Formats: sequence, C-alpha cells, structure tokens
Amino acid sequence: MSITDFTIIRRSLTSRMFSTVTTAFTVAIAVGMLLVLLAMMDAGKQAFRRGSGDMHLLVTKEPSALVSVLNGIFYAGAPAAPISYAQLQRIQSDPRVAMAIPNQQGDSYAGLPVLATTAAFFADFAPTPGEPWRFAAGRTFEQPFEVVLGAKAADITGLRLGDTLELSHGRAGTETHTHNEFHYTVVGILESTGSPHDRTVFADLVGAWTVHAHDRRVRNDPDAAHTTPGGITDDDRKVTGVYVRAASRRGSNASAALGPLAYQLRQEGFMVAEPTKEIDKLFKIVGNINVIFIAMAAVVMVSSAVSIMVALYNSMEQRKRQIAVLRVLGASRGRVFGLVLTESAMLGLLGAIGGVLLALVGGFAVAEALRKTLGIVVTPIYPPEWIMLVVVSAVTLAALAGIVPAMMAYRISVAKSLRPAA
Amino acid sequence: MPESPALHIEKLRFQYSPRDPVVIDIDSLDVAAGEQVLLTGTSGRGKSTLLYLVAGLMEPTGGRVLVNGQDIHAMSGHTRDRFRGTSIGMIFQTFNLLPGFSAAENVMLALMFSDVPRREHRDRALALLETLGVERPNAAADELSIGQQQRVAVARAIACRPALVLADEPTASLDPDNAAAAMDLIQTACTESGAALLCVSHDPAMADRFARRASLHELSASTA
Repeated sequence: MSITDFTIIRRSLTSRMFSTVTTAFTVAIAVGMLLVLLAMMDAGKQAFRRGSGDMHLLVTKEPSALVSVLNGIFYAGAPAAPISYAQLQRIQSDPRVAMAIPNQQGDSYAGLPVLATTAAFFADFAPTPGEPWRFAAGRTFEQPFEVVLGAKAADITGLRLGDTLELSHGRAGTETHTHNEFHYTVVGILESTGSPHDRTVFADLVGAWTVHAHDRRVRNDPDAAHTTPGGITDDDRKVTGVYVRAASRRGSNASAALGPLAYQLRQEGFMVAEPTKEIDKLFKIVGNINVIFIAMAAVVMVSSAVSIMVALYNSMEQRKRQIAVLRVLGASRGRVFGLVLTESAMLGLLGAIGGVLLALVGGFAVAEALRKTLGIVVTPIYPPEWIMLVVVSAVTLAALAGIVPAMMAYRISVAKSLRPAA
Repeated sequence: MPESPALHIEKLRFQYSPRDPVVIDIDSLDVAAGEQVLLTGTSGRGKSTLLYLVAGLMEPTGGRVLVNGQDIHAMSGHTRDRFRGTSIGMIFQTFNLLPGFSAAENVMLALMFSDVPRREHRDRALALLETLGVERPNAAADELSIGQQQRVAVARAIACRPALVLADEPTASLDPDNAAAAMDLIQTACTESGAALLCVSHDPAMADRFARRASLHELSASTA
C-alpha cells in the first residue's frame, strides 16, 4: 500500500489523539444539539396536538382562548369561571353539535389534576385523532364515585383496580380540603396516549356534582347529613368546559357548521377556542425561544470551529519540521495547504458523524424523559435533508477554520524549520 | 552534444535583505553527473543556505542554478517542487525522518511526489532499504538506532533516483567511526545510483574521501 495524502492526515490526527478526540467531541456536541433542537421543534408541535384529539371546539368561560386550551386540555391550571347547567343543555341540544362532552376541573389527587366528566368522554372522544381510548385494565365509570386513571397517573399513585381514594378540593399546591366523606373506587386504568391526559384522574361528573352539593349544604348547615346524587340541584350542575365536535359528513373532519356554531357560541358569551389554532399560536410564541436555542447551538458550532483552528494552530509549531520535510521531498505549498485544510475538514466530519449519533441517542433520551416526566409522547424526526445540511455546514465551517493554520503551513520557511536544534 | 552537468551555478548571490551582508556570492561551480564534491567552510558561512538555494527552497538575490540542465529558479513554484522531488535528494545532519511513519513509509513519502507508479512504491522502498542494510523496515523510524536511521535517510534521498544528492553536514553529530561508516554509505549509494553528490561539511577529516574539494571562501566571487 502506498502513502497518500489521506495517510498523512490520518497519522497527523492519530498522533494528537487527545486533541483530535476533544476537538471532534466539541463539534459533535454542537451538531447533536442543533439536530435535537430541529427534531424536537416539529415533534413537540405534534406532541402538543395530542390531547385535543378530535374535538373541534373547547367551550369555556375563560378570559382567553389560549388560556382555556392550556387549562382545559393541558391542565395548566383550574378554570375559574363555570358554565351553568342550562348553558350546557343549550349547547348539547344544538342540532349542529355532534358531540358535547362536559367536564369539570378544580379537584386534585396526590398532586394530579382531576377531570370530572361523563362516560361519553371515553366513548365519543379520542385524545388523538384515529386513536381512541384503550383500557389497560377495568372499564369506564358507570356509577358516581368511580374513577379511571390515566396511565401515568396509575404509575405515579400506584393505585390499582378496586383501590379507594379521596379527592381534594383545589389544584395541586392550592388544595383547601379533602372530601373525606366521599370515597372513590378505581374501576379502570387507561393505556398511555402520549397526551397530558395520561397524568389525569378521571372521575364521574355526577359524583363531582354531589361532592360540591354537599359542600354547599355544609356551608349552610354544618350538621347537614350525607349528600347523595338525589340532592343535587341544577345550581350544583356546573361544568368548566365542554369538548365540542360539530356535525360533519361521515368520515370527514371538516364541518360546514363549525364557523356559524362558533360564532353563535361567542355571541352567547362563551370563550370558544379551536385547540389546533391555539396550539399553533402557542408555538409561534415558543418558536422565538427555539430561534434563541438554535442561535445558541450555532454559536457552539462556531466555537467548535474556533477550537479546531486553535488545535491545528497550536500543532503547527510541532509540525513545522514535518511540513518542511514534505516540501523538501517535493510537496508544493498548495499541497501542504490542502493537507491542513483537509485535516481540519476531517475533524469537522468526525465531529459531525459523532453529532448525528449523539442526536439519535440524545433525541430518544429526551423523548423518553418527556414521556416519563410529563407523559408527553414526542417522536424526534430527523429528515435526511436536515442531517445533510448540518453535516455539510459543520464540515464547511471546520474547513474554513483550517484556513489560518493552512496558511501557516503554506508560509513555513523550510530552511528555518529544518535547522538542527541548538 | 555534451551531457549537462548535474549542477551548474552561475553568479549566484544571496543576501537576506539589501541591507544585510552578502551570504552567498559564487561566480561559478559545476558538478558533473555522478561526480562527488565536498564543499567546506566554517560554521555560519552559508553552506546550508547554498544547499537550500540549489534545492530551490530559497530564492537567490541573483544568478542561476541549473540542475540537470534546468534552471530551477526559472520554474514556477509547483513545477520546481515537483522537479525537486524527482531530481534532487537531500540528506540532513539530523536525518529529519518523520516520526509516526515506519522506515519504509519514510522512503515511500519521497516516492509519493515522484512519477513512480503508486503500486511500485512499497516494493521499491523495501528493496532499497534491504540493499542499504535496514533490518526492520516496518519499525517506526524513531525506534531505530542512529545508524539505521542514517540508512533510511540515505534511502529516502536516492529513492527517486535523483540526478543530484545534497548532503548537509551528514556526519556532524556522529563519532569518527560512525561518521566514516555513514560517509561510506552515502558515497556508495550515490555511486551506485549514478547521482552526483554535493556534500557540505566543516569536518576536515572528510577531505580525503573526495577527489574534488572546494571551500565556500575560495568560491566566493568577492574574494576571488
């Protein structure tokens, strides 16, 4: 086998193994960061679309549409203003409405939000379009004071079918009291959906109304007897949100009735949010943060190019003699310039390959962490064209970083460099 | 038509800058093909500078240097580098073998810039090293003994079958016995490859080895 330019570059890189590895690692971190951010940007958007599922509208009495989505679907906080029973009935009776699932928030269990709703929540609403609820164990609630646990909620609490629990009034961190008088029984555990609903305890709405009817009665009469569903008045039948789906043709998600329905509901004083639009708005806001993150990754990438330059620049002092010998043997100035520039690009390429591997491993690690901690399913997406673009950018930057040391190699004085050491 | 000398120097002048003293001022010097010439002179008088001027690694202030009949300083940079790689071999006092490369690879590096087909590089390097008595051609150059390194340096200098070998104080760091052995090796290798040898040295013991000797002081036009 003969000696080629590549042999010289390879020997040069391996002779400074520590410097080569650390410099390439710096590039790898920058490339990895950039790829993970790019992959997560789109994947995150898709993940946030999970949860709103196949509803068209979220109807609440919140002050803004975005807040209503954050509270009503992502459980960011308890909705403040209730919808009356009469208003709920009005929405449910609208002929343009195909689905109107009431829900009520405000209670919690072990720091997890409680969503009181009806069995229709599991039968008619799919948390992700085309992916209906599936029970890992048990069934939906059929009686007041029965609960169904989201997959993550079951993991966190350790509750199993048949276990009993008491719910607290108020959201996590702001609980005012525990409804000790009412014991709930776990009747179902859901499979993971990759949506915020996984961290939720679902309770029967009639049970929730009963508890709050009892609270009302006790406020008036501290010695009031135990309240049953029969003691609920229309005033107790409040909800904080309604998941609405407008009537549409079979097999179609589009609905001609959606616009007029939303308009009328807004005229009636409701806050009507279209979750997909609100999530897009949210991502426009978050998108600015992404730009900052990408800018940071780009800065790290430029820093890594500078570190390549410094590493090669420092190595030039030791390599003057080697380069001078190559010149004596017949290497032109242009060729030694090219050798150093290619070596720099090779460092960039090594780093970029490492970065792609880091991104693949890191992206899935981040996704797993998000799934475990927040219950959000994110699937990092690495389009080949992005990978190519980032790799080519890294190699180009590295090659540019090699210009200064390559110029040094180009200008090396052979006579001075080969002078025997004194 | 008479054969061109391996080296022809004509009115060669060199000074680092117009304000600096003249370092090289040679009116004329010819080295015939296959001839071996010793150039003597005290340290710091420009002997090594002369070799770098002959090799085209430094630019003269004036004059011409013809190697094998070709004016090396009239060539473009790339052509001159290529010409040097094929027509001139250099041997240094400290050998200047590349660490991290084996003995054979050091010789192959010289072939890399020649017209010798790549597939022949390894065989040619190994054959040359064997002829010169290098026992471990695949050992790293810096792991070899001084004597073996010297042989590798000679092999590298004659690998491309140059017309001219330039030796810069090749025995300066050796004791008398090893110096004699090294010069035997260099002179024999040049004789066998047909290369002319221009050896610079400040060692008076070298004089008896060369039929033709000159001192840089005598060659200097300013002292003529």
